[in-house]
Amino acid sequence: MSVPVPGVLAVSSVSTVLIELGAVLLVLALSGRLAARVGLPSIPLYLLAGLAMGEGSPIALQASTSFIGIGADLGVVLLLLLLGLEYTPDELSAGMRSTWRAGVVDLGANFTPGLVGGLLLGWGGVASFLLGGITYITSSGVVAKLLADLERLGNRETGTVLSLLVMEDIVMAVYLPVAGVLLVGSSFTDASLSVLLALAVVAAALMVAFRLGTHVSRLLDSSSPELLLLTILGFTFLAAGIADKARVSAAVGAFLIGVMLSGQIAVKGRELLAPIRDVFGGLFFIFFGLRIDPAELPPVLLPAVALGVVTAATKVGTGWWAARRAGIGVRGRRRAAAALVPRGEFSIVIAGLGTAAGVEGELGPVTACYVLLLAIGGSLAVRFVR
Amino acid sequence: MELFETPLPGVGVRYEFTSAAGDRFGVIVRRDARRELLIYDDDDPDACRATVSLTGEEAAAVVELLGGSKVTERLSDLRHEVEGLSIEWVQLEAGSGLAGRTIGDGRIRTDTGASVVAVIRDDRSIPGPGPDFRLEAGDVALVVGSIEGVEAARRRLTA
Repeated sequence: MSVPVPGVLAVSSVSTVLIELGAVLLVLALSGRLAARVGLPSIPLYLLAGLAMGEGSPIALQASTSFIGIGADLGVVLLLLLLGLEYTPDELSAGMRSTWRAGVVDLGANFTPGLVGGLLLGWGGVASFLLGGITYITSSGVVAKLLADLERLGNRETGTVLSLLVMEDIVMAVYLPVAGVLLVGSSFTDASLSVLLALAVVAAALMVAFRLGTHVSRLLDSSSPELLLLTILGFTFLAAGIADKARVSAAVGAFLIGVMLSGQIAVKGRELLAPIRDVFGGLFFIFFGLRIDPAELPPVLLPAVALGVVTAATKVGTGWWAARRAGIGVRGRRRAAAALVPRGEFSIVIAGLGTAAGVEGELGPVTACYVLLLAIGGSLAVRFVR
Repeated sequence: MELFETPLPGVGVRYEFTSAAGDRFGVIVRRDARRELLIYDDDDPDACRATVSLTGEEAAAVVELLGGSKVTERLSDLRHEVEGLSIEWVQLEAGSGLAGRTIGDGRIRTDTGASVVAVIRDDRSIPGPGPDFRLEAGDVALVVGSIEGVEAARRRLTA
């Protein structure tokens, strides 16, 4: 974490931090309200707000960026914790058994364009691997909210869409540790060893979740929301910190804690943690935008749009194919196809891992354009394809 | 009536069925107490013409109106929570399986490991029936055990 520079704790800068933080939170609140008013997800607007307040902007933040940076780190941890909590071990294993084929198609069709795109842009292997993840992962947050808002949870194609999202969740459990290891950038043998170690840890965590999840969760459960929150957050930050020390990225540690918790504690945890996640997640999206100079955007606009068009098409193909296999009619197939297009929070999380490690200067701007395009375009597609 | 069950990861479980009158109808059982009633569209078989969102309390009120019992709902919750344990209601048709014979005759617990823990007869519940309890056509037996055991017991009760 960042070390305060001399003087930061002086009275005047405390007031500056508070004023700027207050302003940032209000900007988040306003963007969120605006997004809800026009029926869009809030993530793209948070990103835009970050870009507007970032480097080279007349309203650039001064004193509070280091604090927002820490808030952003907590945001990633909470985003991944909640992703892990989202599905029960039963849903994960049922998903793995019933939809692995569609999951493989999804991965092949949507990871490849990002990987190839990165290489075509002249990026290194690691940055291209990250871009593959960015184009692969559909925003489960955006999609789940849209389907609920549009009252499509009862539609028959929704089962297909949600089970694909579960598969992506499972793929993330393997992808994130591998990305974390690759980002450390050691020699090939070291890296393969670390990848194996990381995968062993993931497998162990999943085993604990499947075998002992109910016991662990019962042990940690409490009827007091305060104690429950402290327990979950304590374990999560601890695991995230240890994972970060072991150089597999804090996000992975938090995700695994989320996967391990199940049953009552997961249900209550989701309710208690969701608003906290939204606050710090908001800071994370702002912070991602803050660190991008808007002047970097125009040069990458063309490749980002091209990537967006191609990977919107590949997701449409995936959704159509999966829905047809599930025996869904033509109109349902169209809806399932559109529902997979939005990208959002996890694309930014993956890009954030890369920019924090400094792998490729263009990764941040490309991802920002890409997510803006597909979070907004994808949501409109979901809304208007009936 | 045939009931189709579809898991909705992150949401709950969706049940759908077609009524005798040909209406396609469904219910989403959320992971919390909320329920959604779904009425499917005739033109677009995968879409809902209407959905009704109910809180836990409202759902309970609807259940009362429809004359059902809350037992099944509680049991469906139970089923989601306990891993490796299967719970099933088995209806005995006239002239089938163990109708007219005792539970002990069927050697259910001995052979399958599953137990008949209750029987519903004419809206009365008979908890903990012994081996000499005589089953009748129309009884609904509540069977608990391992997934395979309950399946074997179901076959024995109905076949």
